[in-house]
Amino acid sequence: MKIERKKAEVAEVDMTPMIDIVFQLIAFFMVITNFEQTQADERVKLPKDQLAKPAEVKREEEMTLNVGFIRNLEGEKQSDALVFYASEEIPVLQFKDKLLQEARIYKQKGQPVGDVSVIIRADAEVPTGLVQELMKMSQEAGFTKFALSATQITD
Amino acid sequence: MKIRKRSNNEKIEAQMAPMIDVVFQLLIFFMLTLKIIEPEGDFNINMPIGAPSQANPDQPLLPDIKVRLRANEDGTLQQLSLGRSNLGSDARAFDRLNMEILKMIGRPGNPLTKDMEVEIEADYNLHYGNVIQAVGACTGRLDSRSKKIVRYVEKIKFAPPKRPAG
Repeated sequence: MKIERKKAEVAEVDMTPMIDIVFQLIAFFMVITNFEQTQADERVKLPKDQLAKPAEVKREEEMTLNVGFIRNLEGEKQSDALVFYASEEIPVLQFKDKLLQEARIYKQKGQPVGDVSVIIRADAEVPTGLVQELMKMSQEAGFTKFALSATQITD
Repeated sequence: MKIRKRSNNEKIEAQMAPMIDVVFQLLIFFMLTLKIIEPEGDFNINMPIGAPSQANPDQPLLPDIKVRLRANEDGTLQQLSLGRSNLGSDARAFDRLNMEILKMIGRPGNPLTKDMEVEIEADYNLHYGNVIQAVGACTGRLDSRSKKIVRYVEKIKFAPPKRPAG
C-alpha cells in the first residue's frame, strides 16, 4: 500500500483579529492613563463629599500636604497623625520647620508665599484640631490660601 | 527591454512576529502604569494671617452663622448645632444643617450671601471627615436634576483650635 506523504506545510494562524483586539486594548490603556504627576499619597483615606468637584481652573502654584496614618492591612491605625512629606513621616505638630523651609524656597524663587495654595489632603479620621494646627503653622509661615480635599461621591 | 514578470503571483507576507512583540510590550507597559485615581475636589478657604477680618461698620450687620461640632471621646460626632439649635448627630444632621442654612440665606445666590460667613467650631479630637461634611453642607448642595452645585455661603472660617491640656 502506498502511503501518501503530506507536504510539510506551516499551519498559518490568522493574526488579524488578535491584532485588532490588542490595538483596542492599547488605545484604551493609553487614553485612561494619566501621566500627570500628582502629589497624592495613597495612604490617605480622604473624606467624601458631594460638593467636592475637581477644580476647573488649575491653580498656579500649589503645595500638597498629605496628613494620614500608617495603617496595617486591616486598616487599623498604627501611628498618630503624620504628615507624609517627600519620603519622610513627620508628626503634625513638628512640621513647622518644613513649612518655613518651603516658604523660604518659594521666596528664593521670587514667588510671593501668599500666592501659593496649600492643599490639605487629610485622612477622614485625623483629629480636626491637628488639621487646624497645621493651617495655623502654615499661616505663620506666610501661606494664606488653603484648600481642603475630599473625594467626590459618585452615585 | 523586457520587464521580468514575477514568476508566480505570490502574496508578500509581512513579518508579524516583531510587531506583535512590540505591541505586547506596549500593552503591558500601559497596563502596569495604570493607576486608578478617584476624582478629587476641594473646598477653598481663605485665611489671611492676623486678626480675623473686622466687620466693616458701613455694612449692615449680618447674623454670624456659627456651627458647633461636639465630639465623643473616640472622635465621632456627638452633637451638631447651629447657633443655639441642636441638630442631632445622626446621618441626617448635615442635611438639616443644609436646610437651616438655606432658610437663613433666603434663596441661593442672594447678594447678601457674599458677606456672610460661617464659623465652624469643632472639638479638637473630632474626626476631620465630619468637618468636611459640615463645610459641604454650608457651601451648598448638589442639584439632583442638573447636577450643578447650588452655592449657599462661600466664606467659611474656623474658630481657633483649643488644644486640650496635657
